[in-house]
Amino acid sequence: MVCNECEFKPDLYYDAEFQIWLSKEDDGSLKVGMTDLSQSIAGKIMHIRVRKPGTRRPPGKPVATVESAKWAGPIPNFIDCTIVEGNIQVLETPKLLNIDPYGAWIAKVIPNLPVEEALSGFLTGDAAERGYCERAKNDDIHCERLT
Amino acid sequence: MANTDFYLDNDEQSVLIIMTSGPSTASRCATPFFLGSILAAMDAEVRIFFTMEGVRLIQKGVAETLVAMEGGKTIIEFMRDAKAAGVKIIACMPALPGYEIDIETDLIDEVDEVVGGGVLADLILTSDKVISF
Repeated sequence: MVCNECEFKPDLYYDAEFQIWLSKEDDGSLKVGMTDLSQSIAGKIMHIRVRKPGTRRPPGKPVATVESAKWAGPIPNFIDCTIVEGNIQVLETPKLLNIDPYGAWIAKVIPNLPVEEALSGFLTGDAAERGYCERAKNDDIHCERLT
Repeated sequence: MANTDFYLDNDEQSVLIIMTSGPSTASRCATPFFLGSILAAMDAEVRIFFTMEGVRLIQKGVAETLVAMEGGKTIIEFMRDAKAAGVKIIACMPALPGYEIDIETDLIDEVDEVVGGGVLADLILTSDKVISF
């Protein structure tokens, strides 16, 4: 599914502004990444650092810091969680976030609530798709991927 | 091989950025907000205190058109990025009249507080790090 050239994955979970995605893993953890919208807004990502594994992150405390040539800011966090690990491939080659935003996860976290409860405030499926497309159109975001 | 340099392990600290630069030195007006965004994203409690010519940046209609370099983002965009990352924007009340800025009508919406000079002194003494641009 694509809106304004921005890819959308209906099986993932999204925050209300579609800045990040979350995916459920078999071991009870969640992977966190940037959406195609976010990577396009940020531009070429030069640097990313993740909170140290084992660090507890309450809602509002970011899991990572991202820096591009024109933007710097947090990878926001909306759940009470603990950092398991960063994706070393992405940490070493940050532009993977621009090339493959849904494959290039940033961090793996363990929610400190049951997974379903932790994900209850996120959007997924058709509702997420509608919101994602609205955001792309309302903010006139057109996505580009690095190759 | 995992490189621990990729991981953040800093304590939470407070940072005060004193912004005295303004439109006459536009090239100095983007970096403080960029730095503030990164610091806030790294869990620092960041305040940017606008005084001297810096208050021109929080006057409506100034930062919206000002750029630090040709073709770059406007300063208001840098300021909004910083706000989105959690940075607080504080205006120095005594500096406003000298630039004919009306506290009631002329300030941009991004300003969180307008305070007196004594608050700046207090922030300098209580912040973990103080930087001036």
